Amino acid sequence: MELRRYIIRRLYQVAVIFFVILTVLFLLFRLAPGDPVSRMVDPDMTPEEAELLISELGLDKPLWIQYVYFVKNFFTGNFGHSFNYGQPVVSIILDRLPNTIILFTTSVILAALVGVFFGKIASWEKGSKKDVWMTIVALASHTVFVPWLALILIWIFAYKLGWFPITGMISEEVWLDPDSGPLAKLLDIIYHMILPLTTLFLIHFGSYLLIMRTSMLETLNEDYILTARAKGLTEKVVRNHHAAPNAALPVVTTVGLNLAFSINGGALTETVFTWPGIGRELVFSVSNNDYPLAQACFLLIALVVLVANLVVDIIYAFLDPRIRY
Amino acid sequence: MARVFLPFPEWDNNNIALNKPLQGVIMHTIHPFRIKSGYRVAVFIISLAALFVFFGTACPKAWSGHMMKVGLLEEPKTLNIWLASDAWSRKVLRLMYQTLYIRDPESLELIPWLAQNEPDYDAQANTYTVKLRDAKWSDGSEVTSEDIAFTGRLIKEFNIPRYASKWKFVEKIETPDKKTAVFYLEEPKAIFLSRTLTTPIVQKKEWEKIVEKARQTEKPLVTLLNHEVKFPVGSGPFVMKEWRKGAYLFLKTNEFFFGRNQDIAGRRLGPYIDGLIFKVFGTSDAAILALRKSTIDFFWWKIQPGYLEDLKKGKNIRLFSNEKSALYYMGFNCRKPPFNDVHLRRAVAMLIDKDFILKRVLQGQATQMISVIPPGNKFWHNPDVPLHDQGLTSQERIRKAYEILNNAGYSWESAPIGEDGKVVEGKGLRLPNGEQMEKFTILTPPADYDPHRAMSGLVIQEWLKAIGMPASSRPMSFGALLEKVKVSRDFDTFVLGYGSLSLDPDYVRSFYHSRYDKVRGFNKTGYQNPDFDKIADESANAMDPIKRQKLIWAMQKIILTDVPVVPLYNPKLIEAVRTERFQGWVEMLDGIGNLWSFCQLKPK
Repeated sequence: MELRRYIIRRLYQVAVIFFVILTVLFLLFRLAPGDPVSRMVDPDMTPEEAELLISELGLDKPLWIQYVYFVKNFFTGNFGHSFNYGQPVVSIILDRLPNTIILFTTSVILAALVGVFFGKIASWEKGSKKDVWMTIVALASHTVFVPWLALILIWIFAYKLGWFPITGMISEEVWLDPDSGPLAKLLDIIYHMILPLTTLFLIHFGSYLLIMRTSMLETLNEDYILTARAKGLTEKVVRNHHAAPNAALPVVTTVGLNLAFSINGGALTETVFTWPGIGRELVFSVSNNDYPLAQACFLLIALVVLVANLVVDIIYAFLDPRIRY
Repeated sequence: MARVFLPFPEWDNNNIALNKPLQGVIMHTIHPFRIKSGYRVAVFIISLAALFVFFGTACPKAWSGHMMKVGLLEEPKTLNIWLASDAWSRKVLRLMYQTLYIRDPESLELIPWLAQNEPDYDAQANTYTVKLRDAKWSDGSEVTSEDIAFTGRLIKEFNIPRYASKWKFVEKIETPDKKTAVFYLEEPKAIFLSRTLTTPIVQKKEWEKIVEKARQTEKPLVTLLNHEVKFPVGSGPFVMKEWRKGAYLFLKTNEFFFGRNQDIAGRRLGPYIDGLIFKVFGTSDAAILALRKSTIDFFWWKIQPGYLEDLKKGKNIRLFSNEKSALYYMGFNCRKPPFNDVHLRRAVAMLIDKDFILKRVLQGQATQMISVIPPGNKFWHNPDVPLHDQGLTSQERIRKAYEILNNAGYSWESAPIGEDGKVVEGKGLRLPNGEQMEKFTILTPPADYDPHRAMSGLVIQEWLKAIGMPASSRPMSFGALLEKVKVSRDFDTFVLGYGSLSLDPDYVRSFYHSRYDKVRGFNKTGYQNPDFDKIADESANAMDPIKRQKLIWAMQKIILTDVPVVPLYNPKLIEAVRTERFQGWVEMLDGIGNLWSFCQLKPK
């Protein structure tokens, strides 16, 4: 009952926050310097042509009327057409989103699994050389500059060694070959994923390792750990069955939030690897004042993050019965 | 026996000796009960990656044929010719949609392309008659005069941006037969040949349904622009076969291309390649690596100076250097003080060391611009215009600028010429009315957008400060910069450029005529000169090329005298190709990525 009331209260909060985000986004784009038509204009366009285009795009209307249309269109699922692509925004996002989800979700899960595993070991052997090195590696990988790391990996493994493709998600040799079956195409995608996945894995696993390590160190001071040892359980059992599950709770939160944030892609990673995801599209749309596309991308991210937060809060409440609000 | 330091505590318990590390690893690898789940995952992942490495490197490529792979820095946005405003979409569409006339690669003169010969001009009726050559669309149907008339009427009816201004003086188009189109002009227009007749022609059959549908909507122009074209029907050497978004575009040769096996401009045309595959690269670094690795044959974008040394060392890589039809310049806001004063503008022009910008900022990879028309556009470029800083040392430039300002009534708190006649740092420039000159900004694009313009702004700032002008270079996002300059018109000076100027010089009229001094107008600086306006209007209607040339030259002289802008440089276009598979690139103004190249390239 208490949990149900909590969920309802959180849903209401999510709705209000989302509406505020909707409004702020609208204002941000309209009031930011830059003019979407100027980007579509070149020396051959007359001011009259520009005015016609502005009028057809609805940008000549007063701000409050544009806002009303914007909110109405949102709730009717009409996100409009991209100024640059001329296509419905929804189709552009649906085109790019799966690519981002495949890559970033895989990297988050892999990084979490490996980070948790090594974080557990590092905390158990706190102060040892193993712990020191793992911490250093985790910090270094977490703070490395993403495009630099990506380019180094491309240079070494794609260019020098020739083991992997330089960029892209697929090879035209495979996809244009009429004899290529679905398996070959799937393997081709996975093959192209390895380098960007490695980049993202290296960037993220460090943070999971450090979170898990810190959380484990706190958990190891709990009374029930002492009790477990006193009962004569082996160190391995104490670590894996008593300490780690409780210590993993913060990691669960982080994974949940990172999975949500993975929706926005990593613009840098996607750009360097030419991975056709939503992150790259977001950057292009913002820098080209493509309002409809940029707004839709940000709204999607906001919605996913809010829902992810809500889901994580609820999962937390299930995982730990002591947590109630 | 020494112990191997093994990072996993469980392995320590097995006392693996130094002289049997491999045995130990194998034992643990094949003995699953000794391997923890995390290690199993790691071994699995590494094995999988090794498989893929083998898969990627050992498996024979399924590729064959004389397909040229071209690298692009961004993906084209659309195949709708009317919406396409980005360079990438236009590059691809140029290979499919064709024009009535095209530029000869050597003389740059307009020559017949879809047209059979030069247009017949009737001065009395003010008409142009164009005869079509035999040509087909990529669907096998004939290109007729109806397609030309339809294209013109479509542009006029919908006021299609970037095209409407080139057709507005065309009163009507008649088609007495399938191969003849007669254009009736409201008045003689010099740009008709170079701007109107170089409009891409579309197929009436493909577009009339789309037009009909657009007419019935509330916003017909936007409906037309938003129409998704997946397989354009064109008359060019290539036709769209597949576009896998985010990955590649595949164009194969158009079997119905009218130029195939024809001699045009003394060149026997193909295409001789089987097709083009455009691959997108997110960064120049990745594209250059791909070029060096033979993943692509041609990177269709300018090569930045920083990559040149490396590419020069590359085997089977050739670099081409061509001039662009471009102009990068500093502009002033002539609408308000202090830059409404021509003397101040001339002094600024005098202080800018273009040689320095060329050698240090652009590392020699540019041509100095003395006029607003690039020197590569030989017929229209006027080499005899007032020069400002040419060949002067920095001290001489300061002296000359000081002289200009002093004679115009400017003064200083501390003049840049000391009592002993030596050049010193000037401070506190005062306007002729005695007021201190206020701090002003030089707006530039940010360094990540264009490092050359950003740096140019910085060095110009320093040169102006040396004489006591309170200049401040301010990079800002490109969209915001355009908004300030073209829409709100709230700026002092800027450094901007035109990366792709038409070879017809009519833009000189548009950029400086007072008529275009309006919001989003072409006249960014707000320059107003009735004498210039008069000559410019005359040039638009001058049908005789020699007469028009004299007028265009006179316009350039006025601009360089009044200096609403200071032309800075025209960057060279350096492009790189691999040489082992294809040959026959055609160099011309604006690079080797032109129709002539793609129609003449042959496999080796």
